[in-house]
Amino acid sequence: MTLELELRGITKRYPGVLANDAVDLAVRPAQIHAIVGENGAGKTTLMSLLYGLFPPDEGEIFIRGEPVRFSSALDAIAAGLGMVHQSFKLFPTLSVADNVVFRHEPTRRGLIDRAASAARVRDLADRYGLAVDPEAAVEDLAVGVLQRVEILKALYRDAQVLILDEPTAVLTPQERDQLFEVIRRLRDAGRTILFITHKLGEVMAISDRVTVLRNGRAVAHLVTAETNPAEITLHMTGRAVDLDRRAPEHDPDQLVLEVSNLTVRGGHGRPVVEDASFGVRSGEIVGIAGVAGNGQSELIEALCGLRETDAGSVTLSGRDISDADVAERRAAGLAYIPEDRYGVGTTRQASVSENLLMGHQRQPRIQQKGWFDREAVVGLTRRLVEVFGIKVGSVSGPVSNLSGGNLQKVVVAREMEHGTALLIAEQPTRGLDIGAIEFVHSQLIAYRDQGGAVLMVSAELSEILALSTRILVMFEGRIVASLDPRRVAEPEIGLYMTGAHTEAAVA
Amino acid sequence: MDELRSLSQRALVSPVTFSLLFAFALAAAIVAITGGDPLAAGEEMFTGAVTGSGLRNTLGRAIPIIGMALAVSIAFRSGIINLGGEGQMVIGGLAGTIVAIYLPGPGFLIVPTAMVAGAVVGALWAMLPAYGQTKLRLPILITSLLLNYVARAITGYLVRFPLSDVSVTLATTRQVPETARMPKMPIFGGVSLSLILVILLVVLLWLVYTRTVVGYETQMAGFNMRSARYGGIDVEQRTVQVMVVGGAIGGLIGTHLIIGEALRFIDGELVLSGFAWTGLLVALLAVNRPIPIFVTGLFFSGLQIGGLAMQRNAGVSWRLSQVLQAVVIVAVACRLAIRRSDRPTAEAGETEAAGLGEV
Repeated sequence: MTLELELRGITKRYPGVLANDAVDLAVRPAQIHAIVGENGAGKTTLMSLLYGLFPPDEGEIFIRGEPVRFSSALDAIAAGLGMVHQSFKLFPTLSVADNVVFRHEPTRRGLIDRAASAARVRDLADRYGLAVDPEAAVEDLAVGVLQRVEILKALYRDAQVLILDEPTAVLTPQERDQLFEVIRRLRDAGRTILFITHKLGEVMAISDRVTVLRNGRAVAHLVTAETNPAEITLHMTGRAVDLDRRAPEHDPDQLVLEVSNLTVRGGHGRPVVEDASFGVRSGEIVGIAGVAGNGQSELIEALCGLRETDAGSVTLSGRDISDADVAERRAAGLAYIPEDRYGVGTTRQASVSENLLMGHQRQPRIQQKGWFDREAVVGLTRRLVEVFGIKVGSVSGPVSNLSGGNLQKVVVAREMEHGTALLIAEQPTRGLDIGAIEFVHSQLIAYRDQGGAVLMVSAELSEILALSTRILVMFEGRIVASLDPRRVAEPEIGLYMTGAHTEAAVA
Repeated sequence: MDELRSLSQRALVSPVTFSLLFAFALAAAIVAITGGDPLAAGEEMFTGAVTGSGLRNTLGRAIPIIGMALAVSIAFRSGIINLGGEGQMVIGGLAGTIVAIYLPGPGFLIVPTAMVAGAVVGALWAMLPAYGQTKLRLPILITSLLLNYVARAITGYLVRFPLSDVSVTLATTRQVPETARMPKMPIFGGVSLSLILVILLVVLLWLVYTRTVVGYETQMAGFNMRSARYGGIDVEQRTVQVMVVGGAIGGLIGTHLIIGEALRFIDGELVLSGFAWTGLLVALLAVNRPIPIFVTGLFFSGLQIGGLAMQRNAGVSWRLSQVLQAVVIVAVACRLAIRRSDRPTAEAGETEAAGLGEV
């Protein structure tokens, strides 16, 4: 039987890191093949090599038995590969059809035939059950729909092999189920799907075969029906992991953060956070659940002093910080793990140690009269790297060499180190693998157990349920529910998240 | 030993080495094509720049080039495009000149007072665009550039009317009195004392950048404004600070150019000298690092002085040294751009995917 796709001995080195080490991969036609591994295991590198974004140092790629050598993504597309990235590459102001046919527009007498392109897109969408309105403007669409547009783009270019890079990271449970339906249909129609993920539940639910990457090597090739999550985890991490941990009980103590009637207005004067009131006590983790884009980011930015508020007050450890700037808020006892770890949490051009120093640079143990105590700086970075197990070639090397998981460790380590009364963790495990998620969760729990107050925002309901002492749900800028995780089930939270249950009393 | 080898390897593949070789090869070719002797021209250029009075002139000209490079590099490092170096130099220079001409007293007091006056006025001038950006959201890039013309006009008016020396036909101030001039040092045939000032500035900035909180915050804000703000750095305050310090250095250099070199503030002369813009190029080439700025500034100065000697002694136009300077800049810029685009980090891979994914 001819393999749809085969990689043999693919190796890619970066300075100080072996990103892919002689990776073999054999993908059969019309199968859903999952690629799993922790962050930094080499999944993204491997897919980038396959998609022609940069060449491998060693190894060969075969498509339907023919050796290929891509010098750009264009070659890969011509060879029948299609990639759906984690972040979508669409023109927001154009219609779905315009985006899909971009660069391959059907023409009539030299002009773009928009009716034909809409018809073709509709036809394609219907065939695979991708519910999309071809005439809709992309900027008005929900994330789940955008992903369908991306899939349509690949199908329109007749991709035989679809690469989906962490496709469920941004989806609600319902959207995820719809995506799985689409993927199965594509497979049944003879297409091959490479499904990159670190979520074991998804691997078990959707894939036919699994390849596990660890530290840049393909450590296992499994048939999904013949394996189980524990075995895959073992291959991914090299050790057994307790996945289903509920935070033990802990008595909340005094009020650390108190938010009263906070309102934040967005670009058009429309409130993006409206009349939000809640408190966080020491020794508790308050989880804010909600579909992304319902005001969580704006709320957190306002709390941290990065966004102006229009009304309401914020009190931290008894001090009114409503008008304080970021430095004053940090000094008053606030640390913050931001959701955008690339653009906000870290500085790409700076070194690992410079990134670890950010926010600590004015502390008396780090500097005297504005001059760094160089030993203290080195001591701080060494200790953080060691204690938090950050994998780096050198602390003076650029932080851009780090994998997503290690980068998040840099941010988490740095913010934990402040030892503040309040820790705000925004999407702290998004895009991370099991090992890193476990690490971040245990850090958050340890923080709480030491009497810290934690305010966590997450799009992952399982995370909210596993860690929170109390759950707040945000919908359209309002806090629509305050729930006890012991007395609430996932579907009920989902109803609040989608606005179906807005009338409920808020404690 | 290994370290030495890796250093020499780095030097070999460095864009600067490549650009220099390329520029000199091109210049040699031009000389040869136009019937000259490239070797002789090169020799004249070299000896003209580093021997005898040539060395003094090279060092002398390096003072304003390095100084203006330092002045603008401070803002650049922090991600702020200060194109107002010229205006800060001109207006500060006139302020220093006024003090030097009209303030009575002994030289050891007047010279420092004039320098301080120049620095203060240069700093105040630079505060205009700084506050324009932080308070009114007017981009410094635009306002600092436009204020150069305002500075030119103000100083032009002042030296034509209230401060004019009526004994000469030029639009100029009176001459700076003997006692109020920047002293020359008895080395290299009499180099201005300001050289020490520039060296001190280089060392000071190097210390600030490598050892201090302010230096760290400036650099981090330059790299990533959002992350800096998140880390508690007051980006607005930083903006004003770097503009003020840059403006002060500009004013110092402007004052030096009058009380140490020209001795009269002649309308338009500081602008024509082009030091502000040569300095800006040096800052860009040296990527805003003080020690490379010092080396690059000396090199550019040597090129200009050596070019004059080459014209005198080898009959090759001094403009060739301008060609050299331009080619070095273009070549370095090209190499930097190429290096940036072929760096295959995971991140770069993702950003490239962003471009290619549209296809």
